[in-house]
Amino acid sequence: MEAGPPLILQLDGVSKIYRSGDFSITALDNVTLNIPGGEIAAIMGPSGSGKTTLLTIAGALLRPTHGHVHICGTDVTNMDEAGLAGIRRQKVGFVYQSFNLLEALTALENVRVVIQNGSRNGRGDAALRASELLEMFGLSHRIHALPKRMSDGEKQRVAIVRALAKDPELILADEPTANLDAKRGHEVMELLRQKALELHKAVVVVSHDDRIRQFAHRVLWLEDGRLRDHH
Amino acid sequence: MLLVARKNLFAERTRLAISVGGVALSVFLIGILLSLYRGWSQQVGGFVEDVPADLWVTSDGTTDFVAAGSILPDSLSGPLGHLPEVDVVSPLIVRPMESYRSGDKPTDTFDVQLVGYDPEIGLGGPLAIVEGKSPPGPGEVVVDIEMKNRHGVQIGDRLMRGSKSLIVVGYSSGGDFIYTQVAFATLDTTIDFLQLEPTTQRTFFVVTLDDPSQRDVLASRLALAAPGVQLVTGEDFARETRDRILSNILPILVVVLIVAFVVGLAIAGLTIYTATVEKSREYGILKAEGFTNPYLYRVVFEQSMVTGILGFLVGAGVTVLLAPFAQDAVPQFVVWVRWQDIAGIAGATLLMALVAAYIPVRRLSHIDPVTVFKG
Repeated sequence: MEAGPPLILQLDGVSKIYRSGDFSITALDNVTLNIPGGEIAAIMGPSGSGKTTLLTIAGALLRPTHGHVHICGTDVTNMDEAGLAGIRRQKVGFVYQSFNLLEALTALENVRVVIQNGSRNGRGDAALRASELLEMFGLSHRIHALPKRMSDGEKQRVAIVRALAKDPELILADEPTANLDAKRGHEVMELLRQKALELHKAVVVVSHDDRIRQFAHRVLWLEDGRLRDHH
Repeated sequence: MLLVARKNLFAERTRLAISVGGVALSVFLIGILLSLYRGWSQQVGGFVEDVPADLWVTSDGTTDFVAAGSILPDSLSGPLGHLPEVDVVSPLIVRPMESYRSGDKPTDTFDVQLVGYDPEIGLGGPLAIVEGKSPPGPGEVVVDIEMKNRHGVQIGDRLMRGSKSLIVVGYSSGGDFIYTQVAFATLDTTIDFLQLEPTTQRTFFVVTLDDPSQRDVLASRLALAAPGVQLVTGEDFARETRDRILSNILPILVVVLIVAFVVGLAIAGLTIYTATVEKSREYGILKAEGFTNPYLYRVVFEQSMVTGILGFLVGAGVTVLLAPFAQDAVPQFVVWVRWQDIAGIAGATLLMALVAAYIPVRRLSHIDPVTVFKG
């Protein structure tokens, strides 16, 4: 049997239970998910289905109550905070619903600061790489613009550049088109798909926007914390 | 400086101005109060220190110049002068009193430290003459120049005390004790003006020695020869005089200095805290992107430190620039800006900046990066 591409993200029997006094809510219930490099997986489901919880556990931001999480073969389930920060810094790129750019920093600086974090690249090297990436994404004219001067589509493109800037193996996108109109949303998803395939990244997009499915190799449905294939 | 720290700090110009202004105000208050203390300290001990005497002879228990409770007989002058170590002996009558200018209301009084001295010896008399005649003759007085600046005393004026008066014939310098100034008259004039009885009372004797290292020998000899009399060095007498005047204001000064420090700390701390709270989401984003807590602490510390440094530069600059003009506006505002004090204030400002960053840093450690996925 031929071995497939290496798995970038592995969730193995992951559950997440939030407890408050005598009450408990199961946000994820025994979820298993494997994503290899070069695959784009869309996770869809209604609001409150556990999509964001799944994304934050996959992104080493939240620890599961049960199960194991592997990122690029490393078990991150019981890592300490510094270890998790290291994994996020090196292996994971995030694209957020509300862009989450740093308001006081220009497009170039928003990307540069992520490249420089924990790398030995000097300021000049980081700025050059950030500049090249922004040009690659058609943002050369907005390099020195602050987020408040950019359109929402431009902000999301800068956010994607930032996610790719540290060359992570895994990209996690949370409702990346929610704040964009249909045309901009399509452009942004097409860009994310192209670059992910080109750079052989594993991509997980969570959304309740049905238009996302056309960009994904695989669509999964999450409801009441349970994940299943969706056709 | 980290990019995020620099950009966040300078993006909010108004907040930065408030924060820097608060620290600068604190630094200015601390600087000007310390300089005032130094200026007063220098001024009030200056006269005693500058009298070229090796020793001050006082009655037992008298420790300073301004209280001047010492009473000694004039006859002590002889035995003192015959001691082999002694070169010059000069008797002084020193009395604090209130006076007013002729022509003014008798209630418009000011303090005068009247010094009766022997002009033929000169020791204990005016340190330097600025204007007019010296030594004073019978019925005449030479006053410190600050008496002119503060109370408008002119040459030719009469200083009144009851039915007695002295005519001002000159100005001297170096005899300002802030709340009072010295005025010099001859011993006979002083006795007459103060209506001293008996007329042989003296307050101090100032003494110079052939060999100043013989002070201890002289002290032992005098203790045997004249019980109830003590010798004090010029430095000790100056220090005690300073303490007498400044020890009353020192506790108040310390309280005001602490208040100034706390005001600066509170303004810097609050502005940095509110900036941190407002940027909580962005700090959460940085955490999600893999930035560690120490990196975020450094962002806040650098912001706090730069705020402190800018506040210090502004506050210290204003202190140094304004201090020389303070006395022009308020004559009692005698200041002396010392670089050692400025260095100390720089240290206090850095401490202020460190403490101001402490609570914001604690808050940073509790920011949950998961929150950035909400909304």
